Amino acid sequence: MSGNTIRLGSANTYDNALRQLTTRQANMASLQEQITAGKKILRPSDDPSGAAQAERAITRLARVTTDQRALEVQRNAVSSAESTLGDAVKAAQDFRTLVVQAGNTSLTATDRASIAQQMTTLRDQILGYANEKDSNGQPLFGGLGSTAAPFTDTSSGVTFDGIAGQTSAGVASVPATLDGAATWMNVPTGNGVFAITQAAGTSTVYTDAGKVTDPSALTGANYSIAFHVTGSVTTYDVLNTTAGSTVQSGQPYTAGKAIAFDGLSMTPSGVPVDGATLNIKPSTTTSLFGVLDSAIAGVRDATMPGAVAQGVAQALVQIDSGLSRLQSSRGTAGDLLNRVDDIAARQTDRSIQLEADRSRAEDIDQVKGISDFQTQQTAYSAALATYAQIKKQSLFNFIS
Amino acid sequence: MSLLNVGARALLANQIALQTTGNNIANANTVGYSRQTAVMSQVPGQFTGSGYIGKGVEVSTIERAHSDFLTRQATQAASVSSMDSTRAGQLASLEDIFTGGASGLGASVTDMLNSLSDVASTPADITARNVVLTRADEMAARFKDAQSRLDDLQQGVKSQLGGAVKTIDSLATRVAALNEQIARAQGGGQSPNDLLDQRDQAMRDLNQQVQTTTVAADDGTMSVFIGSQPLVLGNSVASLSLATGADGTQNLLLTRGNTATTIQGETLGGGAVAGLLRFQNSDLAAARDLLGRMAMTITTTVNAQHQLGVDLDGHAGGNFFQPIAIPNALPATANTGNATVGATVTDASALAPASYQLNFGAGGSLQVTRLSDGKSSNFSGPLPVQIDGLTIAVGTGTANPGDSFTLKPYANAAGQVATAIGAPRALAAASPIEARAGTSNTGNVTVSALAPAKADPNMTGTVTFTFTAGGTFDVSGTGTGNPTGVTYTAGQPISFNGWNLTLKGTPKPGDTITVQAATPGYSRLNAGNATALLGLRDAAVFDGAPMSDGYASLMATVGVRAQSAQYAAGISDSIASNLETSRTSVAGVNLDEEAANLLKYQQAYQASAKMIQIAQTIFDTLLQGMR
Repeated sequence: MSGNTIRLGSANTYDNALRQLTTRQANMASLQEQITAGKKILRPSDDPSGAAQAERAITRLARVTTDQRALEVQRNAVSSAESTLGDAVKAAQDFRTLVVQAGNTSLTATDRASIAQQMTTLRDQILGYANEKDSNGQPLFGGLGSTAAPFTDTSSGVTFDGIAGQTSAGVASVPATLDGAATWMNVPTGNGVFAITQAAGTSTVYTDAGKVTDPSALTGANYSIAFHVTGSVTTYDVLNTTAGSTVQSGQPYTAGKAIAFDGLSMTPSGVPVDGATLNIKPSTTTSLFGVLDSAIAGVRDATMPGAVAQGVAQALVQIDSGLSRLQSSRGTAGDLLNRVDDIAARQTDRSIQLEADRSRAEDIDQVKGISDFQTQQTAYSAALATYAQIKKQSLFNFIS
Repeated sequence: MSLLNVGARALLANQIALQTTGNNIANANTVGYSRQTAVMSQVPGQFTGSGYIGKGVEVSTIERAHSDFLTRQATQAASVSSMDSTRAGQLASLEDIFTGGASGLGASVTDMLNSLSDVASTPADITARNVVLTRADEMAARFKDAQSRLDDLQQGVKSQLGGAVKTIDSLATRVAALNEQIARAQGGGQSPNDLLDQRDQAMRDLNQQVQTTTVAADDGTMSVFIGSQPLVLGNSVASLSLATGADGTQNLLLTRGNTATTIQGETLGGGAVAGLLRFQNSDLAAARDLLGRMAMTITTTVNAQHQLGVDLDGHAGGNFFQPIAIPNALPATANTGNATVGATVTDASALAPASYQLNFGAGGSLQVTRLSDGKSSNFSGPLPVQIDGLTIAVGTGTANPGDSFTLKPYANAAGQVATAIGAPRALAAASPIEARAGTSNTGNVTVSALAPAKADPNMTGTVTFTFTAGGTFDVSGTGTGNPTGVTYTAGQPISFNGWNLTLKGTPKPGDTITVQAATPGYSRLNAGNATALLGLRDAAVFDGAPMSDGYASLMATVGVRAQSAQYAAGISDSIASNLETSRTSVAGVNLDEEAANLLKYQQAYQASAKMIQIAQTIFDTLLQGMR
């Protein structure tokens, strides 16, 4: 009201007073609404940028919740994989024990057949582990992509129907599948550096798995050891078949005495016939199942103690390599589980942070809200009281 | 005798004054009533040898307390306040459509995108796929609901405008009738106070609907203008109606005789009609554009990504949502050409929430004006032209220079959001491509992510990356251009043939990564495209804001409009109420003042009566003396 106004229209003062009261009442009602809802932003116009902030925080919270759920699925899958690998390691160790048992020279062919039977059961069990699925039906060892059961038992051995490789962990997720190829299909043949096999037709001379004596002298070439029997004298020649050169020639053969060349060493046994040949190739990779299969075949089909010994020796080395692959995958799974814990902790922190952001943006400070409400209430009561008092005052009251 | 006369006159005058005061008291609460006062003047005295002897008092006129200036000011301010509060009220309804939180439209978009996470975790799970479809249906329903509520608001505004125009017509007729009566009464020499009050009140009511200017004539009539167009001239009235322009905006149409004149909504300074027109032509149109753009962007972007994927049965993905067609541009009525002009979305991430005015110039040139901010772009060449992610092209016919069109790409887009896939199996969650690490790799380079990003004819072609010494790699494959010596940065996406590949770890020279068509048997368990769809949450689409944040800014934009309208309404209301107080300080009745006047005139009346009594006593005394 302008200061120089002297007269007041009675109806207008009434209207104005009423307007003020209505405004105060509306303010109180909206404050009450805010306190009841616990929010200072009930509609976007109350504070547009605050409303947008709160909405963004809610969106982020929903995403964190989603990510956390996906992470739990991944955690379950990885921990299933981890425990499956544990079971597989145990089964493989049992298998190894059986292989050692089979190496006992006093066993009969029937005994070995029975052991081979047990080994086959364990091998099938291990194949089952490799095809294990998580609770959602996703294969645990699918690598970068695979069919539902990535490991198929064919007549020529177990094949991996999938893409080798390990998906890496993201900011908020870890892979739910492990690399099946690296876990199950990547066992080095022989001793990990080279593998010794009997050439076709050779059956009376055997070696152990061999070892590397001088890594710097390794050539990575293929070799063959040819035995010659002249009368009672047995000699051997070592031929580098890759280069086509002779490495050693006419060396005398003594069972149990090491044959060594180019940083390699192996201990032969048995009685070679003339023309018997051992082939030496750089180690390649085979599947764990291939190792198990050849161990089973070695135990089941061997007729001579020497053959059993060679089979057992080769098998043990390779099973150990296979075990180390399983252990390494198990380590990866453990790493991923640690990662899951890290991510989960970070996500929890983040959702607390986001909840705080949302709250800061849109929640009412109850103490302040109630205090404001009381101030408004006091003012409203005062306005009502004075209004009633002033409206009572009229000159007409004094005209009699 | 003259004392008796003086007394009688005084008695009469004071009685009139008392009656006037009584009338003031009676009309204290009458809307539009102006306080009246009996103006007393002395009757010229009689000349005698002793000078002029007063002959008493008479009421010369009944004066109406009134200030033209204050009345006009208060009326205009009330008019502006009416406009602002009408617009604020409408905007409050508008912002109620765009609520936040779990029940809002934004939450349904977020839920839809987030539900893909379960499909990414378990691609073969039909339940997870079903949830995505349900969420998408829910999102479509909320878009449709928002659109239909906008349509409801539009309908409400239309019927309110119709009502307001009728009110204006009847008030204008009333002002004209009062003009005639006033002109006639004015002839009597006395001011027709009550008619003037009634006309002022009619003007106040009229200005509540639409702001007018007035010109007073000598004969007491008042001419009323809307903008510069005469609504009332003396006692003749023009008729008012609503006109809808070619671009859908509504304006007032004033018809006087055979001449019809359009009054643009923006030129109106006040009144409910101005508020409604402003709301409808600006606020509601902006909300439609924002909502429609959001619908268009989301459906187009999701469709494009979905089409890159492979469904559970090995088929290429189809449309996830029904594609939303942009309606043809509306031709202006004055167009001489016969062209139809349409638009298609070419870049969903560049869409702007706006409508466009297209003006064809000489030589096939085209000027495109974005109506939201008035920015004009000139194109010299023939159509099609590209602007804001849209390609504008002539459908049929030819446009002549001077032809103009209004393109509203998004006005009704939100109502057309609907899912296109019915079966959960048809959700294209699998990626059409796969990455393989070389079997003889010795480094620890791993595939972090591989996702199709945009359609490309060479998408499924085999591309091999061979790492070389010095942290670089060579690329070979169709469509790549076979670059060599590309620097490798772990975690940085490598894009060829429409896909993005992210690698991690450190490769050794000779290591290879191959991207190739996905092995069909693996796609059941592949969730590459579901992950890519999930990644759309972060796609920069709404003026650079990620898809999941689009709604927050929409909400804030509408909120800012509502908030500023509320502020404006608050300010103009307080100005109007102050001016009304000033006006009533002159014209209003103050009951205390009237009570005092009552006493004053009562006493004067009593004194006058006493005068007559004394005159009688004097006369009696005289008669007794003569007995």
